[in-house]
Order: sequence, then structure tokens, then C-alpha cells
Amino acid sequence: QKLCRKTVEFMHRQLIMLYMVAACRAVAINDLLDRASERSDILHSLSTTLSHDLDSQFPPIGRVIMPRPSMCHTASLQTPIDKYQALQVSESDLLSLARSLLQAWEDPLAVLSTSANTLPHPAQSSISNKIQELQEHSKNLGDGLDILSGKMGPAAQTIASLPYRGGNDIGEDRISKLINFNFLLSCFRRDSHKIDSFLKILRCRAAKMQPEMC
Amino acid sequence: MTQETGATAAQLKGYSPPGKPTLTRCRSPEKETFTCWWEPGSDGGLPTTHALYYRKESSERVYECPDYHTAGENSCFFNKNDTSIWVNYNITVVATNTLGSAFSDPVDVDVVYIVKPNPPEKQTVTIMEDKGWPFLRVSWEPPQKADTRSGWITLIYELRVKLEEENEWEMHLAGHQKTFNIFSLRSGGKYLVEVRCKPDHGFWSEWSSTSYIKVPDYFHREKSVWILLTIFSAFIFLILTWLLHMNSRSLKNCILPPVPGPKIKGFDNQLLKNGKSDEIFSALMVSNFPPTTSSNYEDLLVEYLEVYVPVEQELMQEESKDLHGGCLKCERSTSDSDSGRGSCDSHTLLMDKCGETKEEGRHTDRASSRMLTEAQRHQKGWEKDTLTYAHGDMVSPDMSNGRVKTWPSVFSPLPQYSSNPLDKQSSLEMAKQHCLSTSSCLTQPGHSTKEALGPSNWDFCLGNKQPHLLHPQTQVGRQLQAHSEVNISNIGRKQAPAGLQSPALRSTEYVEVQRVNEEDLVLLQPVVSGCGRIEGYPQMPKGKDYSKVKGVDSDNMLLLQREVMEEDWCPGVDQEINGGTGNCYTSSTVNTTQKPTACIHTAMPVQGDMALAMNGYVDTATMCTLPTC
Repeated sequence: QKLCRKTVEFMHRQLIMLYMVAACRAVAINDLLDRASERSDILHSLSTTLSHDLDSQFPPIGRVIMPRPSMCHTASLQTPIDKYQALQVSESDLLSLARSLLQAWEDPLAVLSTSANTLPHPAQSSISNKIQELQEHSKNLGDGLDILSGKMGPAAQTIASLPYRGGNDIGEDRISKLINFNFLLSCFRRDSHKIDSFLKILRCRAAKMQPEMC
Repeated sequence: MTQETGATAAQLKGYSPPGKPTLTRCRSPEKETFTCWWEPGSDGGLPTTHALYYRKESSERVYECPDYHTAGENSCFFNKNDTSIWVNYNITVVATNTLGSAFSDPVDVDVVYIVKPNPPEKQTVTIMEDKGWPFLRVSWEPPQKADTRSGWITLIYELRVKLEEENEWEMHLAGHQKTFNIFSLRSGGKYLVEVRCKPDHGFWSEWSSTSYIKVPDYFHREKSVWILLTIFSAFIFLILTWLLHMNSRSLKNCILPPVPGPKIKGFDNQLLKNGKSDEIFSALMVSNFPPTTSSNYEDLLVEYLEVYVPVEQELMQEESKDLHGGCLKCERSTSDSDSGRGSCDSHTLLMDKCGETKEEGRHTDRASSRMLTEAQRHQKGWEKDTLTYAHGDMVSPDMSNGRVKTWPSVFSPLPQYSSNPLDKQSSLEMAKQHCLSTSSCLTQPGHSTKEALGPSNWDFCLGNKQPHLLHPQTQVGRQLQAHSEVNISNIGRKQAPAGLQSPALRSTEYVEVQRVNEEDLVLLQPVVSGCGRIEGYPQMPKGKDYSKVKGVDSDNMLLLQREVMEEDWCPGVDQEINGGTGNCYTSSTVNTTQKPTACIHTAMPVQGDMALAMNGYVDTATMCTLPTC
């Protein structure tokens, strides 16, 4: 009897530990996703603010000759175009997409950052600061997503390669500089929105225990 | 041609192609559909149609708006099938009339950037309680179309609250939650609550429909506070009342200091009430007004000089009884340390009684007249009264400034200055009062003398003022009723009337003349033992000397004789009546200057010698010279 009880207690303890581990893991992902979503949210908000700052000074003419968004270097990445499609993407794929996009902007952001220093714009310093913030947040998010991917299976580890081929120089004259700068920012703004959306979908899917999150 | 003609004709009429329309806005409520609205330009007077064309960014194909009606006038509604996200729409509106068409400026639209959800739905507000304090709980649902469950749209909420009568809203950011608690409510207030939402990167929705809620009165809560306050204030009030009560007197004195009443000599309230003004005024008219120099405290003191001339034994006895009864009356409050019968106290007592009896005696002629002098007040001499009847303690010098204190007269020394039959008395008393003073004048108002002396009164007062004093004095053997006001410098000792102690011995008080002041006033001082200084001293026997008038000499001097042995300091006063008044019976020489100047040789023949000098009373009838000390 004594032995039996001891065994039961031992098993009981083991079960508790397992449960805790499992619970911890689940909680961890949720928490990670939550943090990631917050980061991506900030990322996108910053980019939106930057775009507005640029547009206020941008001559309307420049809009016309601005390259189309389809010319973004990340356009080749296939992403859902409506809700129906988006909800059908798996979590791993969603994460992979998010990570790919984020990775694709590592270099262009650096270019933007250097260009911002000499940007012929009245709000140049503010823009420059915000670009730097963008870089920081982007890096943080990338690191977090890397950790997340480690917990979500091998499919999440895939990162599409989306090289930036714009080079370091975004233009020679003032107008082209501004136009290119604006164009790049718009591309980033959209991609950040995609990242944010994907992560929030992921967050909702993972928050089964916390329905109030969604 | 026709067309051109038609167009020209139309133009000729004033029509024109339509104006340029403008895309005002495009909105998507749930990131699945969107609507665009435009503003048409001038129509040029002709029916104008509008069309919306759009092109997606990745293709050149131009599409026309699939739905112009769902969203209303001048709108284009893109349903789910036609809506793609993360795709730029290039939208253009074209207005067309017969004369032409006009293109609006193209607008690039990305659906994800134009999200404006519907207001939250199913809003409820309820009252809940938290430890007796109520609060509002507001709950709502996200708009139906917005898919928040899948995470497609993430909404944050904001609500606003205000009281019905207020103008300012109170904003609360609720975040992602769908419930919110509002505390700090006003009891009985009516609140309005509204909620709105916003997607993470979109526009705020419109405010939801208002919810009204009325907070119940939780007065009982506040009531407890009021009850506590009431109790506390009542407690404090009680304490204050108690304090007031304890200090009521001092407060009264502080706030309402006692008003000193008028002290008018001779003022009788009763008379005033009766309303007899004549009497009042006559009563007020004191004979001794305006007061003489000696008027002050001492004026109030009545000094009685009572000379007792026992006509018969019985009389004497009577008087003695009277005296005993308390003829001694001392007006003044004696502070003398009285060992025995004390000075004033006993005097007072005696006086009181004497007063009564005196009244009687008044009416009944007495064989002996008494004169009582009484020093009432203690001037300085008073204070110094060591001689309060010290038994056998004669301090003649002390007497100097004092008054002669004789034993109390039969009647109260304080006369009532009312017109009463005892005019004489009162006048005498008045005179007495006048006589008060250190200087001790023996003046006596004329009236007093008159009245004082009834037939049997002796007025000892010797002053200018009393010429008529003599008259009564002619009567011998009469008792001088007290109030001859003799300003007798008080010796400070009260002498027990002779008659006091041993009625048998002397029936009445004795007086010894102390001195005569400048005004020719005889200062008498009671003679006690030895010299008869001790006043009120019961034991009579030997030490008592009284002034005994021997006679009056030609000079109108009252000669007093001292019966018993005389001591040096026996005060003897010879009265001197200078001319003019001749009121009193003159005395023998008197030393006014000194204190106990005069020496009164008193002799008191207890044996019932006929008035005359035997008893040591001043007998107006008989004047005999007395040897001066």
C-alpha cells in the first residue's frame, strides 16, 4: 500500500510536470506571438507616419511618375490577396511569409537610412530618426520570429529570398531621390502591414485559451 | 453632322459638358468589401451619368464599378469578389452628358488602409455593486461584419460617459476588451454611455447608439457619514455647552459686566416707585450736602456719641439692657482682631438692637441720654486698630486719627434719611456722618442737633453748626440719644458702653473726649478701662472712665469730668465751642492737634446720679469744668 501510494504520487508529479511543460510551451508561443504582433504593429505604424510625412511635402506631380507598387522587390512573393485566402494559409506558412518579408527589407532599410541623411526634405532629420527606429524594430522582430519559428516546426524555417537590387543609390537628382525614397517607403509600408496581419492571425489561432485576445 | 449640330445647338443653348467629378472617399468596413463615393461636378444642364472605372495595379485591365446602388447615390460598392487587399486600385470616375464627359482625378486605394468599421453592437450598461458602492459595467459586441475571431481584424474600443446634464464626455480607452467598469458615480445620476471601435491601422468608427442608465440612490452610504458627522458635532456642542456653563459667570462678567448701581445717599427706591417726587427729593436732600471736607467714606460712617444720663436706675437698666441688647453698633466693618466683645462687631450687634430700642426710647423720654459715637469707618486709624477692645489695651495714640468709637447708639447708626418722626435722630446721624473723618470734626448739622435731642437728647456735637444743640441739652438727665454725630476721632477702640458690661455700673456708654480739632469739635473717644478706652468691653469696672460733663464754663466750654482714675493717656476732650455756634456744650480745653488731646474726664456715677456729670455724660444742663488731663 505504501509503495502503491508512492508510485501514484510519483506519477502524479510527473504528470504535473508534463502538463506544465506543455502548458508552458503553449503559453510561451502565445506570449511570443503577442509580442511579435506588437512589434509588427509598431513597425507598420512608424512606416505609415513616415509616408505621411513624406507625402505632405511631395509635389503632386511626383505621384504620377512614381513607379508602381508592383515594382517592389518583394512583389514576387506570393501572398494571400483576400481574407479567404489568408485564412487558409497554415501557421507555418504564415510565419514563413512574415519572416521572408522581414528578411527582405533588411538591406533596403539600410539604404534608406543612408539616403535619409542626405534627403532633400524639410523633415529630413525626423525621417532619418524614424528610419533608424524602423531598423531597430525590424531587427527585434526578426529575432523574435526566428525564435518562434523554432517552435513551430520545420516549415516555418523556410525563408524566401527576396534580394534587393536597387543598389545603394536611390537617385541622383533631388526629385528622383524623393520619388525613390517614397516608393521604397510605400513598399515597406505594405509589407509591414502584411507581416502584422499574418502575425495577428497567428496570434488569434494560437490563443485558444485566451479568446479575448482576438 | 447631326451630332455636331445637336451638340452645337445644345451649346448654343447654354449647356456644357459636365464638370469634373471628384472621388471623395472610399471606405471598407471589414477589410473585405469597400465602397467609394464621389462628388459629381456641374452637370452642365444636361443629364449626366457617372461611371467609375478602376484598374488594379498588376494589370492594365480596366473594370467598371460592379455596383452603383448598394451604397447609395454616387457610390460604387465593391463586394468581396471584387475586393483584393494589398492591391492598389486606381479608380476614376467619369461624368458624361451629351456634350461630353469629364474624368476625375485618379485615386489610388489600398483596401487595408481605408478600414473603418461599423460601431460596436449589442451595447449594454448595467449597475453593479462593489462593497456597497455601485459602478457601471458596460459591455458590447464588435460590429457584426468585422471578423475579429479569426484575427483578420483587430479592434480596439473606446467609450465615453457623461451625466445627462453635463456637456463634457469622459473618455475611456478600453483596448481589446469588450467590457468596461466605470466607478465614482454620482448617486442618483443619469448617465449616457457610448462606444466606438477602431481597427489597428484604420479609422475610428462612428459612436454607437447611446445607452442610458440611472444610478440608484445609495444615500444610505452617505447617510452613515452624515450620521457620524451629526454625532460628532453634537458631541462638540455638548462640550461647548458644558464649558460655557462652567465659565458662565466669568463670561457673564466679561460680556455683561455688572452695572454699578447708583448709590445715592438718601435715595429710596421705594419712594421712587411710589412716585412721590417730593418725598424723594426731600429725602435726597441730605442736610449734610454738599458734603463737607470730611465727606468721603467716613461720611458714611455714623458715629454716635451717646451719652447716657441715667435718670433712674431703671432707666439705666433699661438702657443698659438696650445696650446690652446690642446697642453697640458699629457701622464700620471692623477688621479688628477682636478678642472679646470686640469692637465693632459687638458694637454692631449692639447697635442694631439699640437702634430698635432706641426708637422706643426716643419716644419715651429717657432719663439718660446717650450719645453714641461711633466710628464707622476705619480709616487709617481703623486699620491700625490694635485697640480693638483689647482688654485693657489702650492705645490712645492710636486713637488719634481714628474716631472715637463709642459704643453703639441705641439706634442704628445709619440713619434712614427719610422723613420720619425721628428727624432728630437722623439729623444727628447725619451730623454724625459728617463728623466722620480723620479730622473728626465734631460738627453736627444743625438739624441733627435738633432732632437728636428731643428733650432728653444730648447733642454732643459741638460744632458751629449747632447752636440749637444747646437747647436740648438743657435738659438734664436726658439721655442723649445716639446720633449726635460726634466726629470723634476714632480711637479705634470701641468701647464697650459702660452700660454694656455692667449695667449696674454704668448704664450707658461712655465717651471720652479725645481731642478737639481745629474746628472746635470735640473728639470723643470712648473711655475704656483705665481711661475707658476699651470699647465694648464688657468689663466695666474699674477701668472705665467716661466723660462726664461737669459743666459748662463761661466760655462755653464743656467740662468733662472723669470719674474714675485717670490715666495719662486717658483721653479727655474738652470741648470747646467757639463762639458762634455754641451748639454743643462747650467742653473744656481741648487739644485739637494731638491725637488724644483731649482728655475727658468722665465720671460716671453709676449710682444713678442725676444726669449731670455723674454719669459722665455730657449734660447740657450742668456744665462743669473738668479738669483737663
